[in-house]
Amino acid sequence: MSQSARIVPISSGISRPPQTTSEPLLRVESLTKTFDRKGTRVIALDNFNLNVDDGEFVAIVGPSGCGKSTFLHMLGGFESVDGGTMSLNGQKVTRPGPDRGMLFQEYALYPWRTVLGNVMWPLEVQNIPQTERTEIADKFISLVGLTHFKNHYPNELSGGMKQRVALARLLALNPKILLMDEPFGALDAQNRELLQEELERIWDTSRKTVLFVTHDIDEAIYLADRIIVFTARPGRIKADIRIDLARPRAMEIKKSPAYTEYRNHIWDLLREEVLRAREEYAS
Amino acid sequence: MVDASIPMSAARASFLDVWLARVWRLYPIFVMLAVWEAIAHSGLISPLLLPTIEKVAQEFWQMVVSGDLVFHGSITLQRALIGFASAIVAGIIIGTALARVKIISRILEPVFIFGYPIPKISLYPIFIFIFGFGDMSKIVLVFLECLYPITIQSMYGMRNAERVLVWAAQNAGSSNARLFWRVLVPSAAPAIFAGIRIALPISMIVTIITELIGESRGLGYVVAFASASFEPARAMAAFVAIAAIGFCFDRSLNWLRQKVIYWQADAPSLT
Amino acid sequence: MSDQTANLEQVMPEAKTAFGDQRGIGILVPLAILVGWELCGQFGLLPRYIVAPSKIIATWWEMLSSGELIGHVGSSMFRQSLGLLFGASCGTIIGVLAGMFGPIGRFYEPLVSLIYPVPKVAILPLIFAWFGLGDLSKIVVMTISIFFPTYIAAYHGAKSVNKIHLWTAQNVGAGKARLIRQVVIPSALPDIFNGLRIGLALSFVLMVTTELVVSTKGLGYVIARAEENLRFDRMYAAILTIAILGFCADRLLLKIREYFLVGQLMSKDRGHG
Repeated sequence: MSQSARIVPISSGISRPPQTTSEPLLRVESLTKTFDRKGTRVIALDNFNLNVDDGEFVAIVGPSGCGKSTFLHMLGGFESVDGGTMSLNGQKVTRPGPDRGMLFQEYALYPWRTVLGNVMWPLEVQNIPQTERTEIADKFISLVGLTHFKNHYPNELSGGMKQRVALARLLALNPKILLMDEPFGALDAQNRELLQEELERIWDTSRKTVLFVTHDIDEAIYLADRIIVFTARPGRIKADIRIDLARPRAMEIKKSPAYTEYRNHIWDLLREEVLRAREEYAS
Repeated sequence: MVDASIPMSAARASFLDVWLARVWRLYPIFVMLAVWEAIAHSGLISPLLLPTIEKVAQEFWQMVVSGDLVFHGSITLQRALIGFASAIVAGIIIGTALARVKIISRILEPVFIFGYPIPKISLYPIFIFIFGFGDMSKIVLVFLECLYPITIQSMYGMRNAERVLVWAAQNAGSSNARLFWRVLVPSAAPAIFAGIRIALPISMIVTIITELIGESRGLGYVVAFASASFEPARAMAAFVAIAAIGFCFDRSLNWLRQKVIYWQADAPSLT
Repeated sequence: MSDQTANLEQVMPEAKTAFGDQRGIGILVPLAILVGWELCGQFGLLPRYIVAPSKIIATWWEMLSSGELIGHVGSSMFRQSLGLLFGASCGTIIGVLAGMFGPIGRFYEPLVSLIYPVPKVAILPLIFAWFGLGDLSKIVVMTISIFFPTYIAAYHGAKSVNKIHLWTAQNVGAGKARLIRQVVIPSALPDIFNGLRIGLALSFVLMVTTELVVSTKGLGYVIARAEENLRFDRMYAAILTIAILGFCADRLLLKIREYFLVGQLMSKDRGHG
């Protein structure tokens, strides 16, 4: 284990971020979620706790079906909460709101609007004047490198380009925290790497708080300051790992020994959970 | 940690509850009937225009007893079904030919694509002249109106069979006949059924229309004659019979569809 | 990025020429049939009830230039367009609302599923008894009949709005009115247009039907009178007019649809990346 990697194994299920003196931006306390599947009650999240500081990039990894996406949807306000509380900036989360911007795997672009129209849409909803709207939208479209395509419709674009548009729209919304639900999961390997690099670059300049759900360990380590490893269902925190890799990060960082160290460690943790989930499935 | 799923302790809804919920869902129908009944009894509208529900039921019963209902009903049903059934046979054959035989598609496709939005009902007077006032002219018109949707849907269905499925079958060395019956027909079946589903109500509509225009038999005629002689209760009783036929047609087709195309979820429908 | 641009250019022409080929030959065969038909007519080989194309066109032109045809078309189209307007707007508006709001949907659901498969045209004689033999009855029948397919299409469209699209709107903080206007209606629009197309075809069928039953003016009236007088040329001229109107109205609707659905009709997802 490399010295720079500070790994905090969690047994009680309560995360302890290193700086606990100041109030965290996001505070999740004993969150619970259950749902019914064919007459049986399934516990998706069980007494889940998490604190995230302002400006942190937190990735959440875990076996499929562990409730990590459900957690993000609850935080977004789209799914109901069965127990516990979530508060952002001291305000309780009860319903969807523009302070928590969401990036979906399915892009969620409106096919009847052009790229520009899609990016302007959050600004339109917030009643920002027309000229300012176009200006802001143009800025973010050029940030994701799609200025040439701003008058195209989403159905004319490839998956990678669509997700860039969705990212530009999210940035135009300017939320306090960005919630990303496996945003690059539907892309092919090359495009995924390109978008990871782009996200890293953009994040490095803005330093917005990000919660990033993924099943891709490499993606998580490359992008995040901190990785939360979920247990198999019901979802609890298995480990809370700080990634101390210098920024800005280039793709080459994936070849460094520290990176490999992190990767092997998280891989072992996840493997345990996947095997356990499979065992449970079989029984 | 093995027990992440615990059985629902909440009581399973009883049989009675399920039925009550189903009946409760139908409340708008009772609301409508109550409004009708209230207006009919209030005397605001002449009973010559709006009879009470009892009166309609009475007339209906009378038609059942006198045998009128069976007589006219069977004539209407016969016309609709013969036209409809022959349109299914012809439509599937023509549709398949359009999809698979290039020459035929070049000759006939424009006829079907361009003729689709044209109301064939306007040809009815000519059919009367050719086939006379009897059953034949009506059946031909029903056939023609039903033919279009079934043919076009069959054509699309046969044409859009997934290439991968066809390749997989060819790769497995299946013969052409086998390919047709085992791959093309099943993959076109949902589209063909969609066409049949469009055509079925058309068969009833066209039959009724032809009976309204000039006829002395059939349920459409009963409605027209009773209305003209200011017997609205009898007209409505006949309408109820027509409605029942239409409704049963729809239900039986849905049932059939689930049996035949069991692998596909039901097409969007309200029920 | 450059590979994506290339990809885009490959995709575009394909979408444009999908219907392009084999049209030329498709025209030839009907043309041959037409010539044969005309020749048979010239040599007197046709039965009485089939009229040579040149005769139909001559009569049609005569009716058109005398202004007679315009009057009938106007009368027919007046009823047809009003019936379509009322039926389709009621059906679409209520359908969207029913798809959005549970109680409205639950109210209409049993009524629609009960009445939809019923041939509503059968109440035509009753409607005549209620509203007289004039325009009103015909418009009422069209309105009732067209309501159902347009309702069902709009209901289905509004009901099946992509959940992610709704979430995105909520996420941005859009209110209910904006949600309906800018998300639900645009995404239901393809379905709404399908309903309108069925409604349009139905309106033409009913236009002819109601006029064949009772009328004093209109294209159906021309057909009915021509039949009585055995003027088959006039009958075909009227049928030709109806066919042209029906066809053009359908094409016009498709053009409008293309205009409104510009983003949605484009080639679907071209794979990822």
